[in-house]
Amino acid sequence: MDDRGNRLYLNFGSNNERLAATDRTYPTTPSTFPQPVFQGGQAASQGGAQPPQSYQQGGQAPAGYFQQAGSNNQYGAQYSSQLGAQAADYGSAGQGYGQARSTTPGANNDPNTGLAHQFSHQNLGGAGRASPYAARGPSSSQRPRTADSRGQQPGYGSYANAPPMPTQPAQLDYFALAPERNPDKYGPNANNNQKKCSQLASDFFKDSVKRARERNQRQSEMEQKLAETTDPRRRESIWATGGRREGSYLRFLRTKDKPENYNTIKIIGKGAFGEVKLVQKKADGKVYAMKSLIKTEMFKKDQLAHVRAERDILAESDSPWVVKLFTTFQDTNFLYMLMEFLPGGDLMTMLIKYEIFSEDITRFYIAEIVLAIDAVHKLGFIHRDIKPDNILLDRGGHVKLTDFGLSTGFHKLHDNNYYQQLLQGKSNKPRDNRNSIAIDQINLTVSNRSQINDWRRSRRLMAYSTVGTPDYIAPEIFTGHGYSFDCDWWSLGTIMFECLVGWPPFCAEDSHDTYRKIVNWRQSLYFPDDIQLGVEAENLIRSLICNSENRLGRGGAHEIKSHSFFRGVEFDSLRRIRAPFEPRLTSNIDTTYFPTDEIDQTDNATVLKAAQARSAAAGAPPGQQEESPEMSLPFIGYTFKRFDNNFR
Amino acid sequence: MSNLFSGINARLRGTSSKQASSKSPVSPVVEDARLPSPGGLSKRSKSSSNLSASNLSSSKLPPLPASPALSQAIGMASTGDEVLSSYRLPQPLPMWLNPAYAKHIVKGNFMTLSSRPKTVEQGEWIAHHVVEHYRNLWNFVHVVYAKEANGKNLCNATTCPRMSAGPNHSYTWLNKSGDRYERVELPAIEYIALMQRWISSKVDDTNIFPTDAAGVSFSHSPNIANTALLSSPDEWVGKRSGFPKDFASICKTIFLQMFRVYAHLYWAHFVEPFYHLNLEKQLNSCFSHFVLTATALDMLKPQELEPMQPLIDLWAANGTFPPESKAYEYANLKVGTRLLQMAGMA
Repeated sequence: MDDRGNRLYLNFGSNNERLAATDRTYPTTPSTFPQPVFQGGQAASQGGAQPPQSYQQGGQAPAGYFQQAGSNNQYGAQYSSQLGAQAADYGSAGQGYGQARSTTPGANNDPNTGLAHQFSHQNLGGAGRASPYAARGPSSSQRPRTADSRGQQPGYGSYANAPPMPTQPAQLDYFALAPERNPDKYGPNANNNQKKCSQLASDFFKDSVKRARERNQRQSEMEQKLAETTDPRRRESIWATGGRREGSYLRFLRTKDKPENYNTIKIIGKGAFGEVKLVQKKADGKVYAMKSLIKTEMFKKDQLAHVRAERDILAESDSPWVVKLFTTFQDTNFLYMLMEFLPGGDLMTMLIKYEIFSEDITRFYIAEIVLAIDAVHKLGFIHRDIKPDNILLDRGGHVKLTDFGLSTGFHKLHDNNYYQQLLQGKSNKPRDNRNSIAIDQINLTVSNRSQINDWRRSRRLMAYSTVGTPDYIAPEIFTGHGYSFDCDWWSLGTIMFECLVGWPPFCAEDSHDTYRKIVNWRQSLYFPDDIQLGVEAENLIRSLICNSENRLGRGGAHEIKSHSFFRGVEFDSLRRIRAPFEPRLTSNIDTTYFPTDEIDQTDNATVLKAAQARSAAAGAPPGQQEESPEMSLPFIGYTFKRFDNNFR
Repeated sequence: MSNLFSGINARLRGTSSKQASSKSPVSPVVEDARLPSPGGLSKRSKSSSNLSASNLSSSKLPPLPASPALSQAIGMASTGDEVLSSYRLPQPLPMWLNPAYAKHIVKGNFMTLSSRPKTVEQGEWIAHHVVEHYRNLWNFVHVVYAKEANGKNLCNATTCPRMSAGPNHSYTWLNKSGDRYERVELPAIEYIALMQRWISSKVDDTNIFPTDAAGVSFSHSPNIANTALLSSPDEWVGKRSGFPKDFASICKTIFLQMFRVYAHLYWAHFVEPFYHLNLEKQLNSCFSHFVLTATALDMLKPQELEPMQPLIDLWAANGTFPPESKAYEYANLKVGTRLLQMAGMA
């Protein structure tokens, strides 16, 4: 078969070297990557969730490397001739399945079947292969290939009315009859396993395709490098380095990571859902911050969407403004995120230490935070929880954002019931950690130094509590009338206020009061008389802490960058200048900038083990060894291993 | 754990020697010779289709008929129907052979996932796929293995008293007692559990599947002078990356064992429970990817595919297997096309 030969050798750029069959290095081609066949009506939205850039990147690779469109057409043509008639009336075939089978004793009751068939058969036709990017799922560009126009009606309703199959010959005689699908016949366990299995299978293909695509990208980059030099030693080293990196990545992928692979140096943060530890990998001594989240807590407190959002945003980001995520893994009790360790601590610790910043220093941090927020927005995410505790300082004292636990993709709507309840509810009892502080409720806008100091002391506890602090959250998030990217600019305003004034603008004893003050910001925003703010600084704060319609930054970060407060700031080179505070470190595991002495150094795993031992001693049945489906199900797909951050 | 070895005892119920006579005589199954001593799995096949390895490796150009069915088809100019009937499949045909249920959750060229990246050393690539497919397969096994409220697995000693793949193939464990191997017939679920234990004992053994990043190597390229790597007389797959000498044969055994599990899932559990649970497309995609990979890496030989041959034929005909793949080469297009016709799809 000539075209077979062409197809294979095309990829090597030479027809002279025939590789042994066992050694076929068949460069994968983005144009023919397996595509998920999305079922039913979810097709469009699921497809849309993928970042479109990556497809374009794939398509831009050097033409010589990837298969030519021509060969795809060949391929397709071969098929369509082979299957010609069949492809042509597939549309009606898919459409008619339910109908056809309903004449049999076991009528089809699965609304997805007909559609899914319609979708999945489309790869059999020729045209689909030529432009798979345009044709993710049931796009209209692909539809016309189904000859029967009835096949183009996506609604489920239409297919109950579909006319009988034109050609359903003696099919029923040849093949065993398909009984009526009955997913409920096996009981709850099987159904949980069904979800898990289905999810894992589609994750497998999604991940594999993504990895193959990225691998191609790297390979073509390597080929380019190889082409740039004729020095055999240089070429050899490019090749060997590339191969070793790919190989290490494959090894990394098949190795199951576990917490025992790391030594804990110190616990550097604790929260309601877990803790952050400074760890050192036993194998190579590399230092990381390991965040471990308690599954049961995440589950109970309904934080699952947040976990996933955080994983996704960190995983997708390559930005210097966002904390790097190296890998995620899980065991029965915990989710783990292995992240880069930023030795400079966070802005909250710094504000606790210095109380207020000069305007120059404030300008530096606020300018960097502007760039960081902008980077997150450019990834398509709204952070929603920008606050000093989430602003970390790297080795050089520059800003990076973390904790995307509350971040959300733009298209997702946030369930604000939680906030609504808080807003309407009577202040139930004040949280324990604030019991001791008696701030006069009337004197809400605190300018009393001693009370502020009380607030400052309690704020770390607040930061670790389940609800976190609402101080920096924009009012539109509570009120449930919708919010957009600009809610992060509100938070920026409140942080700027705090840097210059010493406390956040809506600080109150009780978070209910804080909520109320935020919603009534027009009345409650108050600049204390005894603190002198520059005119431009106050103007910027007031243009950020305001209603969404008038907020600066609504049209993009450039609006904020060009505010006169930032006059003279060179945003493009900001990350390269020296930061006002550079952490002074004695080693790569120095935790000077973390309040480790305030943090209980017993880790959650130890606490958990002790609790289990106690319940075992009390005669309780030993905990289930295998995780129950309802515990494992929501966390499927959490495990993440990326090439770039680990091997570049 | 006792020393349990698996052996294939592919019983061909009904007459079957016709097929055998149509093929050239060949040497015994190759891995038997390099079986790892204790701990390895031995296999013997009474099935009629043994082709020698040398025959196989030279089959790339021109494409030799590698499938028993195909060779027969060419030799005797058989029709799809004739070859299909030589498979001695139950009538009516199992539901998974109905093209309507042989579909996928992904589309496009699966080879893009199986073909080795140029720079990656072969052993590393094989190891990667062993682990990936092992994880995949066990997602499905998990479904039939899970205990229901009545305390029974979906696959149990009553539903599947033997490890089988249809009426023509059943498998026994080889249990080593003293110096002798003893065939043990086990319920499928026990066989599968033992096999999982055996496979994970290999995959988790860092002497067989090294995980140390420092040991990673890269592939040899004919275009790039990797001077230091050339011409080692005692070379084996994965040697440079720290894989042991018997690595390839261990992996072949793992792939073969995984294939048997897939075959059992298709023959015994496609409808109950996968079809009912709407998982047949997932199963199809994972299995077809498995076959593509295993054949592309020469981990499975054409005759080993026998229990699933008609589905492979179908997937070659319906475009699941791209024409340049070995799986396609091992398929009988006539049979596949005939199956499509039967369904009114060709």
